[in-house]
Amino acid sequence: MNQILAIFSALLKNWVRSKSGVFFSFLFPVMLLLIFGTVFGGTESVRYRLYVQNFDFENGEPTDLSRAFINALNSTGAFEITELSPTLNVTAYVEENPSFSSYRILIIPKDFQRSTINRSIAAKISVATGLLGYVAERYSKDMNETMINELKTGWIALNQWKSSLETGKNNLLLLIDEGDTAAPVIKGIIYSVVNAFNNRLIGTEEVVSVESKSIVERKLKAADYYLPGYIAAFIMTNGVIGATSTISEYRRNGIVKRLAATPLSKASWIMGNILQQAVLAFMLTAIMIGLGWIVFHVRVHLDVCALLLIFTGAVAFSCVGMVLGGIIRDVEAASGAGNAIAFPMMFLSGAFWPIEMMPAYLQAIAKLLPLYYFHEGLRDIMIHKSPGSAAQAFLVLAVFAIVFLFLAIKITKWKEL
Amino acid sequence: MSETVVVKELTKHYGNIIAVDKVTFHVYEGEIFSLVGPNGAGKTTTVEILECLRRPTSGLAMVLGFDVVKEEEKIKRRIGVMPQDFNAFERLTVLENVELIARIYGVKPNLQSLLEELGLWHVRKRRFMELSGGMKRRVGICMALVNDPELLFLDEPTTGLDPQGRKECWDVIRKLKKMGKTVFLTTHYMEEVEKLSDRAAIIVNGKIKAIDKVDELINTHGGGVKVCVKGGSEVERLMRNLTRNFRHEEEGRIVGVFSNKQEALKAVLQLYNLNEECRVEVIEPNMNDVFLRLVGGRIDERGELV
Ligand SMILES: Nc1ncnc2c1ncn2[C@@H]1O[C@H](COP(=O)(O)OP(=O)(O)O)[C@@H](O)[C@H]1O
Ligand SMILES: [Mg+2]
Repeated sequence: MNQILAIFSALLKNWVRSKSGVFFSFLFPVMLLLIFGTVFGGTESVRYRLYVQNFDFENGEPTDLSRAFINALNSTGAFEITELSPTLNVTAYVEENPSFSSYRILIIPKDFQRSTINRSIAAKISVATGLLGYVAERYSKDMNETMINELKTGWIALNQWKSSLETGKNNLLLLIDEGDTAAPVIKGIIYSVVNAFNNRLIGTEEVVSVESKSIVERKLKAADYYLPGYIAAFIMTNGVIGATSTISEYRRNGIVKRLAATPLSKASWIMGNILQQAVLAFMLTAIMIGLGWIVFHVRVHLDVCALLLIFTGAVAFSCVGMVLGGIIRDVEAASGAGNAIAFPMMFLSGAFWPIEMMPAYLQAIAKLLPLYYFHEGLRDIMIHKSPGSAAQAFLVLAVFAIVFLFLAIKITKWKEL
Repeated sequence: MSETVVVKELTKHYGNIIAVDKVTFHVYEGEIFSLVGPNGAGKTTTVEILECLRRPTSGLAMVLGFDVVKEEEKIKRRIGVMPQDFNAFERLTVLENVELIARIYGVKPNLQSLLEELGLWHVRKRRFMELSGGMKRRVGICMALVNDPELLFLDEPTTGLDPQGRKECWDVIRKLKKMGKTVFLTTHYMEEVEKLSDRAAIIVNGKIKAIDKVDELINTHGGGVKVCVKGGSEVERLMRNLTRNFRHEEEGRIVGVFSNKQEALKAVLQLYNLNEECRVEVIEPNMNDVFLRLVGGRIDERGELV
């Protein structure tokens, strides 16, 4: 144990005093966090621009129902609504204004209120007549003649009234650009608002309802996503790039040989290196969290689970480094190999942007990468405060760590052939 | 004199390369022993087998009475090692590097007196990377001394040093001998063998060409002591009488070769007793001559056989 600590503190000191080592381990991640967090941090949550042209006027005022509908759209919080004057010729406007980017225009037709109310009454009548028919069919044998006749009269009267109602077209028209990537989302939101309206107007209770609850108490910001991603990504690079080149360098300059000539065991050397990487990982985490808090007001949840996951990740990736550094003799080649593994992993794993933004086949690849589980797990614990969801991450990383620890022990040569 | 290192028929193959070929030699307690040879001769391979850093292909190697294959732990505790192209943690100070080795061995030596002994106390707070080449090697020797070993292996301790650094390094190695340590060193500098070593083995292509006390090596393989003289017919006649190994060189110089220094000095005395005026020069053989005669070449400054 004392040997491990001796090696660990020597490695740590040697690293802390190296300017380039510290730069790449800390400054680089910090810079990226500041840049990306600022660039993408502006939009707290996504709001879609939507133009609404309302033709439903009564006495020069928009009708109550059309007003209510626009308010309902507004209250979803998903839209930034601009109302267009009904006198405007939309198609001409779009052609005249090339900057009228990704036009999404919802047109509320004339007589929207009247038709809608009439239709809702018609719908209610349908419900009532349907009910009368059902009652007549089911219970007619228990009824006397007068009751049946009254039922029939009522049914006829209702149907007559229904056919007298003016139920002109009241369809809302959504003009949307074919290539608009947000189209499905926007349609979805509008449909749900329309559905809610339909239900309210017909007076039905919601039969199926979705109860939605915010997972976190506050709105997620860009930095919330980036912070765990960056912590994970840079623990990975410190192991896969940093440890690879230091191990390879220690082998080249003969330090490994010098130590192998003492009673120091190979296991102690490996443990010392792992411990150093773990401390580095904790330092990086602390700095990133501190910075996230000061600059972006990201408050992360840090508990034993988080520390344990960070430790597991640090072990896993530093063992990868020890394996690479152990296999590749040439220092340049070793750090090249580290880069060749770390950079694609960093970008493919979704550590830097939500994985949903990537094409399906890349998402499939991401899920094969240990870094994916690492940053997802960290986000589960640190941002969503649900360590339970990180179980898979723990499992994947622990297996990964054990496999590479085993390989590191196999590959590190304490004795030449 | 007891044997600190015993090597019998030691052989090491790297695939098809035979790096060490049935090597047999002994190192005695308290001596400075040199393994001398050009680059690629098999010096490092031999030393590292003795340090338990490589496995022999066949043969026997005993260090301090322990078998290098079976008793690695015991050997490692009792020896001190400075590998070829020695390096320590660059950004640790001299003291920190030495302390690290002490912690690994689990010993608490008096580091101040150790560092003072090697002339390193005043630079103990300097980072290893800031030291001169000669000082770095002294740090290496210091690190090798931390566990108070009976035997030190120094693989090319002075290679790449300037003359000043080399001299300082020699002084330290002489000190080791005074401290009662056995020193096993490798080198390709003949001067180092002559000035420093008690015994030496010449190794080329994995084979030992000769092994003996340095004086004996020179006496046996140096090709004799040359007496060069410039003079007239009297001188020439005398020289012919004194030695059979006799030749003329340019500018009328006569060179006679004598088997050893005594014979040569006798000849010089007789030359001075002649009436004829003459200028005499005595050239003693050195390790370069030994090497030339045994191997048929010379080792240049970089260690290459030419
Ligand atoms: N690890 C190794 N693998 C293969 N060949 C080696 C290895 N180490 C040394 N050799 C070869 O063995 C021979 C002896 O090398 P070495 O012991 O280093 O010589 P020296 O120390 O005298 O320069 C050389 O031909 C060298 O190329
Ligand atoms: Mg060598």
